[in-house]
Amino acid sequence: MRISSMMIYEQIKKGLQNSLEELSRRNEELATGRRILKPSDDITSSSRALGYKVEISMKEQYLRNMATGDLQFEFTDNVLKSLSDALVELRKLTISGVNPQDEGARLFNSQQARLLRDHLYELSNSRHLGRFIFSGMRTDREAFVYNPLTYTYEYQGDSGEMGLPLNTNATVSINMPGSEVFSPVLRSGNPSVLSDGTSVTYTESKDPLTGVNTITIEIGDLMSAEHDVFTVTNIMDIANRLSYAWQYEDIDGSFIGETKAMHRIEALQSLIDDARTQVLEKQTELATRRQFLKGAEERTRNLLNTLKNTLSLSEDADLPEVAVEIQKAQTGLEALRISSIKLLSTSLLDFLK
Amino acid sequence: MSLSGLFDIGRSALFASQTGLYVTGHNIANVNTPGFNRQEVILETTTPVVTGAGFTGRGVRVAGIRRYFDRFIYNQIFFQSQKIGLTRTMSNIMTGIEETFNDLKGAGLSGALQEFYSAWQEVSSSPDLLPARNLLLAKADSFLRIAKEMEGAIKNTLNDIERQIRYSTEKINSLLKQIGDLNGKILQVESGLLSEKAKDLRDQREEALRRLSELIDISYYEEENGSVTVNHGTFALVERENVSMLSAPVKRDGRRGVFINGQDITDTIRQGELGGLLLSRRDIENYQLFGLRRLIGSVIKEINLQHRQGYGLDGTTGEDFFTPVKLYLDNYTQGAVASATITDMSQLTLDEYEITFTSGNYTVRSIQTANVVASGIYISGNPISFDGIEVTVTGSVLQNERIVISPLKNLIKEAEVAIIDPLKIAASSSGSTIPLDNLNALRIVNLFESSIPELGYSTFFEYYNELVSTTGIMSRNAQDSLKFEENLMAELTRQRDALSGVNLDEEAVNLIKYQRAFEAGARIIKVADELLETILNI
Repeated sequence: MRISSMMIYEQIKKGLQNSLEELSRRNEELATGRRILKPSDDITSSSRALGYKVEISMKEQYLRNMATGDLQFEFTDNVLKSLSDALVELRKLTISGVNPQDEGARLFNSQQARLLRDHLYELSNSRHLGRFIFSGMRTDREAFVYNPLTYTYEYQGDSGEMGLPLNTNATVSINMPGSEVFSPVLRSGNPSVLSDGTSVTYTESKDPLTGVNTITIEIGDLMSAEHDVFTVTNIMDIANRLSYAWQYEDIDGSFIGETKAMHRIEALQSLIDDARTQVLEKQTELATRRQFLKGAEERTRNLLNTLKNTLSLSEDADLPEVAVEIQKAQTGLEALRISSIKLLSTSLLDFLK
Repeated sequence: MSLSGLFDIGRSALFASQTGLYVTGHNIANVNTPGFNRQEVILETTTPVVTGAGFTGRGVRVAGIRRYFDRFIYNQIFFQSQKIGLTRTMSNIMTGIEETFNDLKGAGLSGALQEFYSAWQEVSSSPDLLPARNLLLAKADSFLRIAKEMEGAIKNTLNDIERQIRYSTEKINSLLKQIGDLNGKILQVESGLLSEKAKDLRDQREEALRRLSELIDISYYEEENGSVTVNHGTFALVERENVSMLSAPVKRDGRRGVFINGQDITDTIRQGELGGLLLSRRDIENYQLFGLRRLIGSVIKEINLQHRQGYGLDGTTGEDFFTPVKLYLDNYTQGAVASATITDMSQLTLDEYEITFTSGNYTVRSIQTANVVASGIYISGNPISFDGIEVTVTGSVLQNERIVISPLKNLIKEAEVAIIDPLKIAASSSGSTIPLDNLNALRIVNLFESSIPELGYSTFFEYYNELVSTTGIMSRNAQDSLKFEENLMAELTRQRDALSGVNLDEEAVNLIKYQRAFEAGARIIKVADELLETILNI
């Protein structure tokens, strides 16, 4: 083929351009650490990379949710432990065998029950991140308040549980409504007669909206002078009634006498046991939820690691390989420059004298 | 044969060599001139005379100057230039657009959408906490801001294309005029000459034709008189010295069209730079711009629909999270008044529609799917309903007049976060379960992971990924096509240069060759002179 001067110039220009382009691209790969700099570099990989990034972002968000949930679980677990301890203390008081004639001991028990009542009340209104954790969905208000007109503790929350998303298909409830924790449910084992042979009956009715269980305790025959009926809806009510009973008083401060008071103390013992069982069950439930969350967290972390590794394989540059390629491109460019100089610097015209 | 004949031979040798030197010099001077075809002196012996010794030569004469030109290769280059013009323009534009959708660098719409999604997750995990709600409003705003920036970048590209269409048309007109002028000059120079051609003028004209073919798809043929006729399809652009200029006015839809003698030829231009500009404009409008608007429209529509179902911390309900999707109407009728409203947001497909009127009937067609969604007899004032939209047209309409309805046209530009007070973010499913109820927030979170009908049953993320991939594919295709066409062009150019290109070494040899011949011719004259002197001194 005949070669024209223009062909030589163009060939050199094109060769230089290609070499510089290659060098520039490899330098950018080295600087960014990425093999794919724009979608058209590798459409399949870049599309996958974008998909992985979305997945990674979602998984990271789910992990943040899990951290939030776990913190709430831990806080709730601590409250339940304190609650359980307080109930044990209350139960101890009821079986301490106080001599009714020993007023000092009665007043001491009354005082202890009052302190435990206040402690339970404080626990029922525990707050985490500014939210009342036992109010169901109504976390902006206290779970329980004391009503001075009825002398009882009333639940202000609802039975709602908030589901925290752990992944696309699973949620876990992070709260326990106060009605389920503090309002005891009757279990088998409640006595039908007290130690002195007086009959006792326990009946319950649950409010479907709030989940509050109202337990009515009836002691003695209807016609008997010692006949007594009263209700409790939560463990603060139980502690409150105990506190007054040790002073032979009803919760409004009216005198009820020794027999009724002692009957009440005995009848409430089984309810404290029911409440303890209930708290234990809630602790177990919380542990199960937490385990579920931890399991989901571990699976999410594993998946996240896999996704990150796959993303890295898709878009990250093999740096040693890039460094070698840069060296190759530089050597090629140098060789091209040297040969180009030789080619351009000689012409037959130079030899014309 | 007389002694003076030797002088004639010497003179003819001097003249031939001098012409050779001129041509060689001309070649050397034009070594870098685009479109120049090297030339060569054609020498032949003069007619011999009969002498006693038989036929005796009388020297040399210049029979002509040859131009090394191959019409076949030139035509291949000519048509290849149209493809180069097309692919280079499309590659440049699509590479630029790809940068707008390059989420691989981190700060793109995908990241903003992910953060918006995460913010909803935060609200769902802490629906009663104000910081999470404030964060959501900030992320929603940032999502819209990035969408606006992207739309702005696409619109800038489209505006740039509009400007380039005008410049390209001006360049075409300038070349058409140049070709017309060269036609005139060639006709003038070659007039009366049977074999001689206006070589350099033809080189210039062929180069102008090649440059013109880089701009627009044209064909040409050479008339017997030496002028060329240039056509675009059935339209003659140049005939002899007469030129039909192109114009690129802005049409009623806001886009520039290309016209010749009042006729719209926009849709017939498919090659060259102008073809690349028009095709890129169509592709960007149909894929990138429409796709982005549809995605944002879908996010706004779906989130608003769900948000309206929920309750804010202050108990409010039925509120839109974003400013709602509304309809934009382009009325291309002369006498009718039209209005359009959304009657059922959930039915909205986010397609654009065209209502056309023919023979007293109306037809509503989706611009994206070309499906007819409604049709009937046109009665002024009667509502036309389709896909959750109601259009009322009042007045008379002419044959083939049309109305375009779009839910997307200014959607991104006008989109804002409608909720200002974070308390009004409707995370709860009921007014009585505030503040910890997160069911509505969870439903919105689920939207991000659900298949959306108006997005072809893709999720928001999948649809955007598809949009990025499509842009990448378009850019890759344009780059690959350009590379392929450039390689082909390089090969054709090599073939052309192998024949027509100047080689300086070759010309240096020619320079010596003609110099030596000139010196020898002069020596002949000197010898003849000495011989004559010898005779005179006898």
